Amino acid sequence: MTDLTPITALGAHAPARHAFGALTITENAGLALASLALRRGATQPAPLGLALPGPGAWQAGQGVAAFWTGPGQWMIEAEDRAESDFAAALAAEAPGCSITEQSDGWTAFEVVSDRGGAPIRALMEKLVNIDAAAFGPGSATRTGLHHMGVFLIRRGEDRLAVIGMRSLAGALWHALEETAGRLKGEGA
Amino acid sequence: MTRLTGGLIDRARNLRFTFDGRTYAGHPGDTLASALLANGVRLMGRSFKYHRPRGVFSAGSEEPNALVELRSGARKEPNSRATVAELYDGLEAASQNHVGPLGFDLLAVNDLFSSFFAAGFYYKTFMWPRAFWEKLYEPAIRRAAGLGSLSMQPDPDAYDKGFLHCDLLVIGGGAAGLSAALTASRAGARVILADEDFRLGGRLLAESHLLDDAPATEWVAQAEAELAALPNVRILCRTTVIGAFDHGVYGAVERVADHLPEPGRQVRQTLWRITASRAVLAAGAIERHIPFRNNDRPGIMLAGAMRAYANRWAASPARRVAIFTNNDDGHRTALDLAAKGIEVAAVIDSRSDAQAQGHYRLVHGMVCDAKGRLGLRGVQIDSDGRREWLDCGALGVAGGWNPNVHLASHHRGRPVWDAALQAFVPGEGGPCGLIAAGAAKGQGSTAAALRSGAGAAVEALAQLGIEARSAELPAAEDAPAGLRPLWHVPGKGRAWVDFQNDVTVKDIKLAHQENMRPVEHLKRWTTLGMATDQGKTANVTALAVMSELTGKPIPETGTTIFRPPYSGVSLSVLGGGDTGPHFRPRRLTPTHEWARAQGAVFVEVGPWVRAQYFPRPGETHWRQTVDREVLATRAGVGICDVTTLGKVDVQGADAGEFLDRIYANAMKSLKVGMVRYGLMLREDGMAWDDGTCARLAEDHYVTTTTTAQAGPVYRQMEFARQCLWPELDVQLISTTDAWAQIAVAGPNARRLLERIVDGFDLSNEAFPFMACAGLMVCGGLRARLFRISFSGELAYEIAVPARYGQALVERLMEKGADLGATPYGTEALGVMRIEKGHAAGNELNGQTTAQMLGLGRMVSSKKDGIGAVMSRREGLAAETRVLVGLQPVDPAQPVLAGMHLFAEGAEHRTETDQGWITSACHSPHVGSSIGLGFLADGGTRMGETVIAANPLQGQKVALRVVPPHFIDPEGGRLRD
Amino acid sequence: MLIPHPLLGLRDAQEFTYLGDAVLLNRPDGMAEGAEAAFAEYVYLRDNPAGVHRELWFHEQGDRSWLVVTRDTTTHEILGAELARDVKLKGGAA
Repeated sequence: MTDLTPITALGAHAPARHAFGALTITENAGLALASLALRRGATQPAPLGLALPGPGAWQAGQGVAAFWTGPGQWMIEAEDRAESDFAAALAAEAPGCSITEQSDGWTAFEVVSDRGGAPIRALMEKLVNIDAAAFGPGSATRTGLHHMGVFLIRRGEDRLAVIGMRSLAGALWHALEETAGRLKGEGA
Repeated sequence: MTRLTGGLIDRARNLRFTFDGRTYAGHPGDTLASALLANGVRLMGRSFKYHRPRGVFSAGSEEPNALVELRSGARKEPNSRATVAELYDGLEAASQNHVGPLGFDLLAVNDLFSSFFAAGFYYKTFMWPRAFWEKLYEPAIRRAAGLGSLSMQPDPDAYDKGFLHCDLLVIGGGAAGLSAALTASRAGARVILADEDFRLGGRLLAESHLLDDAPATEWVAQAEAELAALPNVRILCRTTVIGAFDHGVYGAVERVADHLPEPGRQVRQTLWRITASRAVLAAGAIERHIPFRNNDRPGIMLAGAMRAYANRWAASPARRVAIFTNNDDGHRTALDLAAKGIEVAAVIDSRSDAQAQGHYRLVHGMVCDAKGRLGLRGVQIDSDGRREWLDCGALGVAGGWNPNVHLASHHRGRPVWDAALQAFVPGEGGPCGLIAAGAAKGQGSTAAALRSGAGAAVEALAQLGIEARSAELPAAEDAPAGLRPLWHVPGKGRAWVDFQNDVTVKDIKLAHQENMRPVEHLKRWTTLGMATDQGKTANVTALAVMSELTGKPIPETGTTIFRPPYSGVSLSVLGGGDTGPHFRPRRLTPTHEWARAQGAVFVEVGPWVRAQYFPRPGETHWRQTVDREVLATRAGVGICDVTTLGKVDVQGADAGEFLDRIYANAMKSLKVGMVRYGLMLREDGMAWDDGTCARLAEDHYVTTTTTAQAGPVYRQMEFARQCLWPELDVQLISTTDAWAQIAVAGPNARRLLERIVDGFDLSNEAFPFMACAGLMVCGGLRARLFRISFSGELAYEIAVPARYGQALVERLMEKGADLGATPYGTEALGVMRIEKGHAAGNELNGQTTAQMLGLGRMVSSKKDGIGAVMSRREGLAAETRVLVGLQPVDPAQPVLAGMHLFAEGAEHRTETDQGWITSACHSPHVGSSIGLGFLADGGTRMGETVIAANPLQGQKVALRVVPPHFIDPEGGRLRD
Repeated sequence: MLIPHPLLGLRDAQEFTYLGDAVLLNRPDGMAEGAEAAFAEYVYLRDNPAGVHRELWFHEQGDRSWLVVTRDTTTHEILGAELARDVKLKGGAA
């Protein structure tokens, strides 16, 4: 392993984590990402045992997951494998596909509620023009958030992942922090 | 004091507030207007043009007169309507638009010159001399005819935006809105109920009649409790739906904290974007008045408002009042006021057959004049020619009700005239999915409004496939209004139609006389309906007066439609909240924190924040720093973060063929492990963007774009992939952020890199100029290396996963200490690329061609690349301006970008213009200013002296034409 | 505005970038005879109908699909949307 010390997207040595009332937001610095696109005539693979989901959906497996990002395109996630060459591992599992390393292209913020789905929906209402009530567990989409393109994944009734471009991590964190903080203020 | 009994105010608590410096008391539930009336204050403001003393006219957001400056300091907000300003403890308000005290306004002198200020005055009066407009007329008019004043300080509060979705949006929480919301919510539909008031109930709060033998407020409370308990209903009070937009999108402003002294941790307001499958417009109706001479005296108001003040707010403008009406609704006001102990001096009814409905004096006739400049003292009545002055402190005017068609007319919906109602009702062609109900549809009785709201909800949900049954409705009054139109009282003197903009019946007559008859001309000639209230209480009346003058019926005279917003909206809430550094998202490079620790000065480059230069102690001018960075790079090795260049990963069996069509030059022929400069054209043949294209494998390329065009280029590549050549096997994805890309440039670059690569042969033979490879660095970190140069030096760009970018730069600095490793920023980068003669954004500005850039031969005619055909067209081929270097004849003279080039001795005119300077800098290598520019026939004019001129500032510099490469023209440094 | 994305349903128009007339799908062959005249028309000439219009929208903040959206320019009513890729493979825009 290299002796270089990595930093998080927010420029720190440890992932950010902050609680705002019912919501806790954690930077998921260990998440590995790689994009998978079908080549012409390729049959849809099932890499790492994942059934690749259809439009608007997210499919979780054992420590790995996939979400649809466009026609014939998915993003594959792997927990705690950001330091490894996950793209190479995935490529071996998906012959005939174009695989591109994406771990460092994005920053994932995991939002978890300790009071069920309502605080997650309230957060979404203030951030994205996606109908939170129709965005149940297993949903995934890309949309605009404060002029930034982000992926949203509803990992559970009480959890939402917001994945934004790495260079925008600070701006995205600010938007999440500000909004979650205000929701806490309203709840108090 | 005119505080009455009853009302929906909390008398247990007192709220102190000030108006024009005097302290008063009110109660929770009061508005500023109701509290002022309860304190005996009738005079609240001055009119826009004539500075006439004015009192409150309405009890809602349609208010034209009672505009005040609310709050103080940075939170001061001018033109706030006292009728909707919710009272809180410590509220500060001041009247506006007067010089001197409110009771003695020096600018009221305008009123004496009213004939001078009549309709169209500024079109006629201030036409000439032209220079006087900016210097004299406009400032004077602005001073005299302004409304409130701004604080001139930044808004200290936070604002928010949000997005809501529902099956049914109900706009208005009165009788119709509540029955619609109950009906829809019981059917399981997702409902949003929005009301601009701070309390649900609408007009039901202002009336005394019963619902099912109980006060209407009881039914409202039950309905509200039921709705609030349902998970599928969201109630938004203090929320104004400001506009209907395409496809069922509505804008709404929620005043979250306007009713509090300070917002505290909350936002002040939220702008909601509501996506509604269907909407019910239950916005009620706005009462109209009947113009007569001096009808703007403080104390004259809409009769329905007078009733609302008495019933809801237990306040009356006077102890003795009169009513002027053309329908039965005016009588209801008389009865309600009498029941509250107010003396009703008379009801003056213009209908000759009207009957008194209680114990008060009924006069068949009209009000024809009023006295009491600062507060009404009496009105003159004309009953069949017999005139009489009647003492009263207030007059309620009831001219009928105009359905509030505002939102229904947003999408070019044309209101239609309902002859039975004598009013405009929502017509066809309005916002799709919007159904009007209740008084907004002309269903004005309480029973009709309740029925109509429920019916609209059933209809709307049926369109969505949701079966709903009308909610059970309480028994309610269902009386007809019995209106017989009276649009204005004929006679001499000025009778106001539009109070806020001071438009009188006479002004409309003048407009008619001057042939400004179509309603749009009438509006612009008189400024009718153009004030902050947008003529909500004036437009229909004005139309009726014009119709009388033209002899055409009202619907043929025109209709009055509205545009968003429904009522005034602060720019702060439209701005969405983020200010200062958070105004827009900023992209940071992977080495941002490191650069900051080095004391870098940053510059915004599009959305990116980049290190501009790295000053060292003792350097007092940025030029010193930049010169040092350039010289250090050219003598040793410089290090620069170039992550911001766009990177697109291109894969697939046809990747080469695809890139051949994207770029002007060939890419399919590029060998694996090599990089090629690439030029992109627009389809019209002009140069667009440039970058590099690296072939990592047979079916895998990585292309770079300029920082500025990264988004548009990626978009264009997707366009080409999906729309032009979907048959090609090619996949694209951006990897800009994934890789930290660091330029390592200078004669020591190879020696430095040799110290960090894991056994990779960097020799010129193994890894020549324009080579690329994947490799390992720093003990097992995957990286990509490109031997490319922007500076003209031996240079590389090394890419590692972004999280390691900062550590890599630190390692390079550490390992390169003895090699003179120096970080450099965008400024030095720019200097070095100008010295090398590389085109950048200034040269690729959309107005230049490959030929002008000296890259004409790159455009391949053997393939069909985007823009290739059009780049060969006659007009572009005939272009003779080409990129040249420029150097001042006198080295002390500056070269400035933007200057135009002329032959020596030529006049400086457009016809003699020979080109322009695109980029300029001080070159520490050359020792003077240098520039790049496009010069006519530049290729054949080396050594010639030309004149660079900036006629705007009288600048003129003699420049020598030189090749664009100021450094290493043979390119030996790159290749060794 | 809401764009009915063929795969994702109604989406906020703010997620999209607008390009223009869908005839841009019909790029002339640059190697053919008379290519310059064909390109002059392709690049510069557009119909500007008051009524039904087929136009290109890019779901830039979404799935990055290019769509051909059929819209009535006088009412903004959207009559349909297809993936531009499918339209092109079927022979391009009419």
